[in-house]
Amino acid sequence: MQHWGQVTFLHFRPVSFPGDKKTARGGGGGAATGFAVTLITVMALLMALPLGGCGAKPQGTRVVRIGTLRNDLHQVAYYVAREKGFFTEEGLDVREGGAFNAGPEEMSAFSAGELDMGYAGTAPIVTFAGQDMADVKIVAQANLVGSAIVVRNGLEAEDVAALKGRTIAVPGYSTVQDFLLRTALKKAGMSDKDVNIIVVKPPEMIPALAGGQVDAAVAWEPYPSMMVNQKAGRVLIRSGKIWPHHPCCMLVADADFLRRNPDTVKRVVAAHVKATKYIRDNPLEAADMAHLFTGQPAEVARAAMKDIEFSYVPEVKGIQRYVEFLKSNGVIKVKDAASFTRGLVDTGFLPGGGS
Amino acid sequence: MKKWVIISPLAALVIWQVLVSAGLLGHTPSPVSVVRGIYQLSVTGLPPGFRLMGHVMASLGRVLLGFAFAVTLAIPLGILMGWSSVFNTIVDPLVEVIRPIPPLAWLPLAVLWFGIGYLSAAFLIFLGVFFPVVLNTVSGVRSVEPHLVEAARTLGAKEKTVLARVLVPGALPSVFTGVRIGLGIGWMTLVAAELTAVKSGYGLGYMIMTARDVARYDYVVAGIVVIGFLGFLMDRLIKLAEKRALRWR
Repeated sequence: MQHWGQVTFLHFRPVSFPGDKKTARGGGGGAATGFAVTLITVMALLMALPLGGCGAKPQGTRVVRIGTLRNDLHQVAYYVAREKGFFTEEGLDVREGGAFNAGPEEMSAFSAGELDMGYAGTAPIVTFAGQDMADVKIVAQANLVGSAIVVRNGLEAEDVAALKGRTIAVPGYSTVQDFLLRTALKKAGMSDKDVNIIVVKPPEMIPALAGGQVDAAVAWEPYPSMMVNQKAGRVLIRSGKIWPHHPCCMLVADADFLRRNPDTVKRVVAAHVKATKYIRDNPLEAADMAHLFTGQPAEVARAAMKDIEFSYVPEVKGIQRYVEFLKSNGVIKVKDAASFTRGLVDTGFLPGGGS
Repeated sequence: MKKWVIISPLAALVIWQVLVSAGLLGHTPSPVSVVRGIYQLSVTGLPPGFRLMGHVMASLGRVLLGFAFAVTLAIPLGILMGWSSVFNTIVDPLVEVIRPIPPLAWLPLAVLWFGIGYLSAAFLIFLGVFFPVVLNTVSGVRSVEPHLVEAARTLGAKEKTVLARVLVPGALPSVFTGVRIGLGIGWMTLVAAELTAVKSGYGLGYMIMTARDVARYDYVVAGIVVIGFLGFLMDRLIKLAEKRALRWR
């Protein structure tokens, strides 16, 4: 009932506003007032819609706002948990916190207090937490590996060494993919000086590869599978071969939310664990759900998910290795990578403590 | 009077610093940290080695290229549309359909047509500049008083002369307004233009997006301030050109 009071208030005040203006102007503008009333009414109705919805919630349901990434397979567990009712089973009322275009925006939403929990990649989480720009804790892993170096069709390259002197696209400076590329180059006896690294966002990597403007691209799934599917290139090496079991996406919780609602976090993690196990047992069904949620072609979702390891136990060593990389290139300034990583990860919400 | 120019920016800076110091703006960087950011960007750069001056030159180049193409095409088109109502009827719907499309929506097509690099970025800036110049040129030509045109014709001027000596000079003030607005919008599209299509690793929009990725909001704001300052300088230059061109008034 309280909500309706709010709506009435919203409805009422602006309607009187054009009226004031009318007197000030000395009459006229009846049509404008009518328009304003219509506009305000529509706005009030729109605001009432989601508010009206929460009257129906059962007693004891815990509300949690979860952020995700648009078009992404990072959060297949989230799709599965929604679709299979795992959140509801845990007594959760999960609100779509927003499907973000990129991890950094999702992390800013955390610092603005707009999200309680979220699925995000290693890079934005560590980068933002390492600079005190967002206070979050990693409560579970979502997936591991699942990136790849793709070379354009027609490029004769059988191994990483063949990329010498080539132009290679990465999604961003100091991202996990940037690190993967540098690691692969190092293993092949090269450094970043031996190639031309440029930044191209994954969706544009596809035309860039197809048009021969870059010779290779490093991206996370589903982009490598999309590149293959659209005949823009072929996979040179999967990230699991460069850095086995490297962390990809994780489930994070706002530190403040976690302190105040540990039980809610525990329930979300429980649903997440259940969903992750479900994906491992039913990969094809999970891929189809991912296809429905993201709009990716079904065959792309299936191919992409083959190369992702779904795991809920945080890959602490891998996270620390990435923290050390960011520390070494000056992106984050933490005193000690090991203790920073320990403080960032909280496995206490996993069944059995996660160990 | 000249002294008053700095009052509004200065007041904005003071209020900004006070709000940040009072902790009211969350993670928003303070003016002091932004100045430090500009210094660090000039010396170290972001990514390290890619210094601010390089970003400035790259962006200036892209903006000027897009701007030059846009103005060269938009002014003649606007004059034609303002002059011939038949031509206007034919072309105007197309202009009005394309005009509201946000630059970011063009990005995939720009990459497809021009690849990643200079041209696709310049294309997005071109779109930002083009339409305000066209529309202002049209309205400039239309705003020329009909009796001036009539007078010229009565005095025996041919259509060509009417166009060159009456309509175009009469439209100039409005054209300049369009150019100034267009340039502003051109700068506004810079981040979208450099969001992905940067090959050299240089560009202010690209630098801002990199700063966002690595959570350096002081660098983000530093980039914003530099873009604002460049936009301001270029606007002043056009104003100067306008004064010279319209000396006859």
